[in-house]
Amino acid sequence: MLDLFANLGLGLAVAVSLQNLALCFVGCLLGTLVGVLPGIGPIATIAILLPITYGMAPVSALIMLAGIYYGAQYGSSTTAILLSIPGETSSVVTVLDGHQMARQGRAGVALGIAAIGSFFAGTVSTLVIAALGEPLTRLALIFGPAEYFSLMAMGLVFAVVLARGSIFKAITMIVLGILLSTIGPDLTTGQLRMTFGIPWMADGIEIAILGMGMFGIAEVFRNLEARTQGDVFHGRIGRLLPNREELARSAKPILRGTAVGAALGILPGNGAVLGSFASYSIEKKLAADPSRFGRGAIEGVAGPESANNAGAQTSFIPLLTLGIPPNAVMAIMVGAMTLHGIVPGPTVLTRTPELFWGLVASMWVGNLMLLVINLPLVGVWVKFLQVPYRLMYVGIVIFCCIGVYSINREPGDIVLLTMLALFGYALGKFGFEPAPMTLGFVLGRMMEENLRQALIISHGSFTTFVQRPLSATLLAAAAVLLVVAFLPAIKRNREKAFVESDA
Amino acid sequence: MPGGPPSRRFIRSPQNLVAGLALVAIALFAIWAVSDLPQGTLRIIGPAMMPRWLAIFIGVAGIAFLVAGFTVDGEPLERWHLRGPFFICAGMLLFALTIRTPGFLVAGPLTMLVVGYGTTEVRRLELVLFAAGMTAFCIVLFVTILDQPIPVLNIPGTPIRF
Repeated sequence: MLDLFANLGLGLAVAVSLQNLALCFVGCLLGTLVGVLPGIGPIATIAILLPITYGMAPVSALIMLAGIYYGAQYGSSTTAILLSIPGETSSVVTVLDGHQMARQGRAGVALGIAAIGSFFAGTVSTLVIAALGEPLTRLALIFGPAEYFSLMAMGLVFAVVLARGSIFKAITMIVLGILLSTIGPDLTTGQLRMTFGIPWMADGIEIAILGMGMFGIAEVFRNLEARTQGDVFHGRIGRLLPNREELARSAKPILRGTAVGAALGILPGNGAVLGSFASYSIEKKLAADPSRFGRGAIEGVAGPESANNAGAQTSFIPLLTLGIPPNAVMAIMVGAMTLHGIVPGPTVLTRTPELFWGLVASMWVGNLMLLVINLPLVGVWVKFLQVPYRLMYVGIVIFCCIGVYSINREPGDIVLLTMLALFGYALGKFGFEPAPMTLGFVLGRMMEENLRQALIISHGSFTTFVQRPLSATLLAAAAVLLVVAFLPAIKRNREKAFVESDA
Repeated sequence: MPGGPPSRRFIRSPQNLVAGLALVAIALFAIWAVSDLPQGTLRIIGPAMMPRWLAIFIGVAGIAFLVAGFTVDGEPLERWHLRGPFFICAGMLLFALTIRTPGFLVAGPLTMLVVGYGTTEVRRLELVLFAAGMTAFCIVLFVTILDQPIPVLNIPGTPIRF
């Protein structure tokens, strides 16, 4: 226990240097700035802003990215509440009551309680990360390639079960993502695969470009056909701080949301998305008068927003300890870390403890910044939302172009961006989700590497995956989960849960 | 949809049918693209093994969607709105062509002016002013403040290079 605080102290010492505080602040600000643009969620935001961290030292870059991450999260909650446009799946539930509050003139309170709940959730989950970091890292060190492969397989099964819509479509998307990840140099022989001799394809597809194409530009295509001019925010924000009665109503939902979100966020395969849905249904079940939900109940904002932030934060745990990104946002973070020469995984903590603890501490600082700086700035973000979409999307596209060009200074990457955007648009037209594909894409490379290593060690025998107890357990868990998801009763409930949240 | 009640139509879910066709096409393309690479053995996997088997899975899934297109009632095809994607893609490709020479000072406004026509709500004067303002803003933000390696103006044959 004492260790924990000593470690957090080390981290704070790194994070609270004047320069790093400033970076975290700028990160938060820019993250919110881009994240608040309608239809731009955290994935596209991080991808767009990634290049600005290039010239920095790894610690500083990571701290700024953490700021961008939380800013982007908060930005997408803001558009969910004010415009009823969720930037990502997990803020879908925030729309239900948050936007109703905004229509009743209580937009400020909704934004305020979201920030307060998120800060509380962030504080708790920072402690969870600090507590679980070391034991999980020790676990990771006894993992061999077979265990890693099985763990990732389990993560992908989770992602399938948690994806919206048809399970079969989700599986297809994941496999397609893994297939995309095989473009580029072969890991052992160095031979180029499916690059057609095009020089800018030789390194494969950059995750940031995939994110910007599928979640940024493709979203603009979708918005342009669906949106009309009327969709700007004209209402009033009102007071930001909730009054005593509103706080009292929110306290327990925040506590419950934090617990649910933190627990689900640790799961591989995008458990964090479930957090806000779970919290919303818990609050609705426990409420004395469930009919208030969907009509501007503050509990329906406080709980899910806390769960969302808790999950967003604890999903760093599998990334930092095992090196496995549990969702598409973390996948982008892997890309970011790799660019700075940091290989996410157990070695981060063992070799560069100041980096690990500095990042953990700066997560908390980032949350604090959101509360004390972003909340008062809400008026500025609202001004952005008054820009008509016919101009806004032009800005989004030019930001994406600049972002992609600065990654490798390669115009060819913009051609790739164009193709991925069209591909993402087409996927949506056929009812396929891009999120499972992104996860498959990121895990694909690691899975292939581990599969090949495991088979080399076992002399080509697949039994290695079931003979090693840890690997067998993980695979068994994945199999059980998949079977359960296909059981008719569960399948119906699963579809119902997502339909309800879409309403 | 012509042809009477849904259950009697020949193609019962056009969305699945076209999705299946697309998946099969992707699979065939990938299998062709790795056809000159060695597959290796399970003991030492070659570069083509993973892509090939993944593509085969995609192909089988595609055939399943195709079959479902004829046997299961499902969604009709969604309408494609091509104006937005067309102008935006054209704008981005122009950006790729012009960003190195003559640089962002030309590429930025050019791209934004083309991209802006992706909606029917476009207003010419407003767009021109917006493009000019955003160009200045981007140069200040990305080049001056954030020090990004973006060529601002670069005219070959002259000493102009920023």
